[in-house]
Amino acid sequence: MTESVLINLSNAILFLPVLGFVVTLLLGKKIKSIYLFEVFILTIVLLASIVLAFGKLSYFPDDKITAEFEWFRLTDTFAIKLGFLIDNITVLMLFVVALISGLVHYFSIAYMKGDERYNRYFAYLGLFTFSMNGIVLTHSIIMMYMFWELVGLSSYLLIGFWFEKKSAADAGKKAFLVNRIGDTGMLIGILILYLTYHTFSFDQIFASISAGVLPFNSDFWLSVTGVLLFMGAIGKSAQFPLHVWLPDAMEGPTPVSALIHAATMVAAGVYLTIRIFGLLTADAMMFIAIIGMLSAFIPATIALTQNDIKKVLAYSTVSQLGYMVMALGVGAYKFAFFHLVTHAFFKACLFLGSGSVIHAMHHEQDIRNMGGLRKKMPLTYATFLISSLAVSGIPLTSGFLSKDGILASTFAFGSLTGYWIFAVVGLLVAMLTAFYMFRLVVITFHGEPRDHHKFEHAHESPFVMTMPLTVLAILSIFIFYTPNPVSAEQGWFLTKWIDSPEVHTPNSTRFDFMQSNIVEQASLSGHGEIMYSEQYTEAMHSAHYPAMFLSLFFAVLGILTAFTFYQWKKVNVDKLVASVKPLYNFSLNKWFFDEFYQKTFVAGLFGLSKIMYWFDSKIVDGIVNGSATVTHALSIFMGGFDKYVVDGLVNFMAYLSGFFGLLFRRVQTGKVQTYIVLVIFSIIIFFFFL
Amino acid sequence: MNKLIIPDLLNSLNSILPEIVLSLTLVAIILSDLIFHKNKKLLPYISLIGLIITFVFLINQFGKSDAAFPVAAQFSFLSLDPFSLFFKVIILVSSILIILFSVSSKEIESGLDRHGEYYGLIFGMIIGMFFMISANDLILIYLSLELLSLSSYILAGFVKTSLRNSEASLKYLIYGAASSGIMLFGISILFGIFGSTNLHEINELIRTPAATQLTFLISVIFIFAGIGFKISIVPFHFWTPDVYEGAPITITAFLSVASKAAGFAVLIRFLKVTFIDSLTGNGYWQLIGYIDWQTLLIIIAIITMTFGNFAALWQDNLKRMLAYSSIAHAGYLMLGVSIFSDQGLIAVLIYFFIYMFMNLGAFYVVMLIANKINSEEIDDYRGIGYSLPLLGTTLGIFLISLTGLPPTAGFIGKLYLFIALVDANMIVPAIIALLNTVVSLYYYVRVLRVMFLIKSDKTVSVNLNPLNFAVLMFMVIPTLLLGVYFSPLVNFAKESVQLLGF
Repeated sequence: MTESVLINLSNAILFLPVLGFVVTLLLGKKIKSIYLFEVFILTIVLLASIVLAFGKLSYFPDDKITAEFEWFRLTDTFAIKLGFLIDNITVLMLFVVALISGLVHYFSIAYMKGDERYNRYFAYLGLFTFSMNGIVLTHSIIMMYMFWELVGLSSYLLIGFWFEKKSAADAGKKAFLVNRIGDTGMLIGILILYLTYHTFSFDQIFASISAGVLPFNSDFWLSVTGVLLFMGAIGKSAQFPLHVWLPDAMEGPTPVSALIHAATMVAAGVYLTIRIFGLLTADAMMFIAIIGMLSAFIPATIALTQNDIKKVLAYSTVSQLGYMVMALGVGAYKFAFFHLVTHAFFKACLFLGSGSVIHAMHHEQDIRNMGGLRKKMPLTYATFLISSLAVSGIPLTSGFLSKDGILASTFAFGSLTGYWIFAVVGLLVAMLTAFYMFRLVVITFHGEPRDHHKFEHAHESPFVMTMPLTVLAILSIFIFYTPNPVSAEQGWFLTKWIDSPEVHTPNSTRFDFMQSNIVEQASLSGHGEIMYSEQYTEAMHSAHYPAMFLSLFFAVLGILTAFTFYQWKKVNVDKLVASVKPLYNFSLNKWFFDEFYQKTFVAGLFGLSKIMYWFDSKIVDGIVNGSATVTHALSIFMGGFDKYVVDGLVNFMAYLSGFFGLLFRRVQTGKVQTYIVLVIFSIIIFFFFL
Repeated sequence: MNKLIIPDLLNSLNSILPEIVLSLTLVAIILSDLIFHKNKKLLPYISLIGLIITFVFLINQFGKSDAAFPVAAQFSFLSLDPFSLFFKVIILVSSILIILFSVSSKEIESGLDRHGEYYGLIFGMIIGMFFMISANDLILIYLSLELLSLSSYILAGFVKTSLRNSEASLKYLIYGAASSGIMLFGISILFGIFGSTNLHEINELIRTPAATQLTFLISVIFIFAGIGFKISIVPFHFWTPDVYEGAPITITAFLSVASKAAGFAVLIRFLKVTFIDSLTGNGYWQLIGYIDWQTLLIIIAIITMTFGNFAALWQDNLKRMLAYSSIAHAGYLMLGVSIFSDQGLIAVLIYFFIYMFMNLGAFYVVMLIANKINSEEIDDYRGIGYSLPLLGTTLGIFLISLTGLPPTAGFIGKLYLFIALVDANMIVPAIIALLNTVVSLYYYVRVLRVMFLIKSDKTVSVNLNPLNFAVLMFMVIPTLLLGVYFSPLVNFAKESVQLLGF
């Protein structure tokens, strides 16, 4: 196993899905079973990513492998290079993407059966996998931006896959437009970086920051750049206040929701923040933490009252992504990535489980029409339950480990800086999460069936659908990450697989607990400035058990409440709802975000567009029409020149030659002579000119 | 007294191996035509083999910078430099493509009994162009230009049964004869002034006061007119539309790419070698003398592209439209030359390489469709996008590339051209060229509109054989690929700006 093998594997993982995409798209209409090719390709990619992860983690655990080539060079100073950055995070993320993408391919074989654009669906999945792998593998911010947009495109295509449905087409557009807002910020951030450092490569940017080069020579602008780049993550990871697109995106096919809108693409924002972690200042991190906190809290309250099975999961996704972002904001870099991985598995499992339910119930998504499905679909139920336990943070699951780590970090952050708000909100959200998840489980799978007709026809899904569920549910168990079920601290995931982050910002702009007071330690460790002070580690350590017990307490409380409300019916829910009607409506209507945006931004834009339209129609069009008239006239003139002057001369010559007919008749060829006369004429003009 | 010495001569033979192979292929074609009188199918294969062997020898010359056939200690007839190699590659690739075009052309097939002439004359053109590109001496330039011209006069009228063909051929001949007469007159005056026809030697001589004579001005203008005829810039373009429309499509395509490439190579060599004083540090050419070449070329370039584009607007015949559009492209290229810098030259080389694929591609699709429907009228292309999706789409790609829109290669060609212009502070010409591109969008897109947006009841079907498909892909793939990954081409062009001596 050498480095070049790893690079070749990465090339294969990146480009094979393109092959799948092109072949499936082009031959989709001719060969009905071409989708199998795409599935086959993804299987190969999955195997390759396993080999890559194994090779990297066992042979080069501490190396950062980079490979780049010059894409093009426009001037001596402006060149764009493309390349790979392969570290442990890259290979783990690639594995997650390939695994879930592969499982979603298998799942879709049964789920999408009978769709008229069956093959095209698989082609789009291939395009998505390619773009996502590009984001993961890139070594430069510009290449990440390109794949970022490609991911946006494939997400758009898949959300609006059933574009005959107006709601689906609208949701696709909404997702695309809302993402533009974040991406604009990101692009500005990228441009600031390029203006300052004349490079797009992460490593070189970090090296320059370490050397003290800052945008516009100010700490403030470094913070601004970090926040601007993070705006891309706000859009892609559906963070507050741009979270509104994700629930609507559930209009896409359910396996797509599992792959793109739960496990991988929405995690790209977190991945981006992980990649740029080295340039985030304390101010930028504080901003990120606050966004993450709001995104964790608000959707959790909305999820309490939703009745669409996918909507609940969608809000839960936003909330969990908020956790990860908040974790990055409070400096818990390792746990953020850990939670990204564990969440990817259990949330993909939940979404595919909901797909299995929807499939069985003939596209019924309202949980009020479900119930008692436990008996009909035991395997779906079991896997759904395991993932629900994981997302609620119950011990023995992977979710417990990662969420507990994040909560412990917020505790440590609180004790070191005094901002306890993150810890408080974190615990509150943990309880809400447990409640709404078990509300979902109880209403869907327990109790008596509410729609008997549909219930009678419900059945367990075929093997290609239950197999992915099983795999993902198994991966939601602690043993894959650490031998100790209550703490991941000593597990291989956090000690061997992920490194501590390298922070490159000037000391004065960091949180106190992230100061690197030790110059020699940086040189000892060999790569960059990896510095967390002892303080933080100790605070984490002492916060571990209190955080664990508190989070466990709140999670169990949430689950018990859910059972009391919906299983044992000790509390009359309807009465309770009636007593807090305004609050209930506020949550049911998603805090009126859509209405608010409609009234302010959309209406404002319409107003602006009306003004623009007036400007356009009166002034710009005037200019355009004017220039069009000029062009038209000029082209008529040119055409006319050819027609009348040249032809006229020709005719004149013909006339002349008619006049000198006797003399010239033999050699008369009409046009050619004219041409030659004109040439001689213009040569004479040249003489006068020069 | 200039004297060729025998050992030098023999040594120099090594340097013209590609040309020797071409000549031998020409002989082989004639012999095969005589011996296998009935079997004309052999000829394209012989031609292709000859061209491929030439290519091998050409690659051997990669990176060399030699003088061949020395005249005196420091002067020579031929120069083997990276610059000539680049153009020879363009000519060779387009020749291979043209031979492949000819195999499936219906027009050419109709003159089956004269195929020996056809392929032989194409080789005559290729040999002429090869010498033209390398020539350092006005006499050699003239001779090779005549070889090229005489062959192409006959080829333009190859389809004897078509009145259009014969007319084109005759016009071309008369016009060409007048032009080369003018050029020869210029050369003779120049020889009268300096007593030399070697460009390098003239370059040394014009640093003397003799160069300020009016006669000198007359002579170089005459020579310029002769070259201008080959590259069909305004006001020497009059023959172009008639000949392009009248000649068989294969020949039209060949004239619009290869012959133009050779013309540009001669023009650049003539201007640079004869008039250069020194290279400044940043690659700009310092010219000698009082002739304001730059202004003249800029004006000609702008008139050429504007005329070409506006005249193309009114064409209903696709072949004629492409003829005018190729005049417009000559204008863009001329603008690149007029920068008089290495960067401008790089832009010209890049543009030409890309132009070869997209222009030949457009002609090829037109030819394949004309084989079937016997028409090149744009109106007859209605609904082609639906009945012939592959040909329609590829023609669309070529036309978009000719317009210069991303993500096609044509965009890259224009991009480098504009960067070079802006770098040289030639903002106004750059803006005019940009506006011209906008105008060209109109007539290129018009074809797309007819093909894809207007439905037709008639369904046309063309059965593409694997060869057609392969040739088509050979042009489409570079047109798209060079639009996204073009570093190798740029590097190749950068290495090819070096002319012998400079």
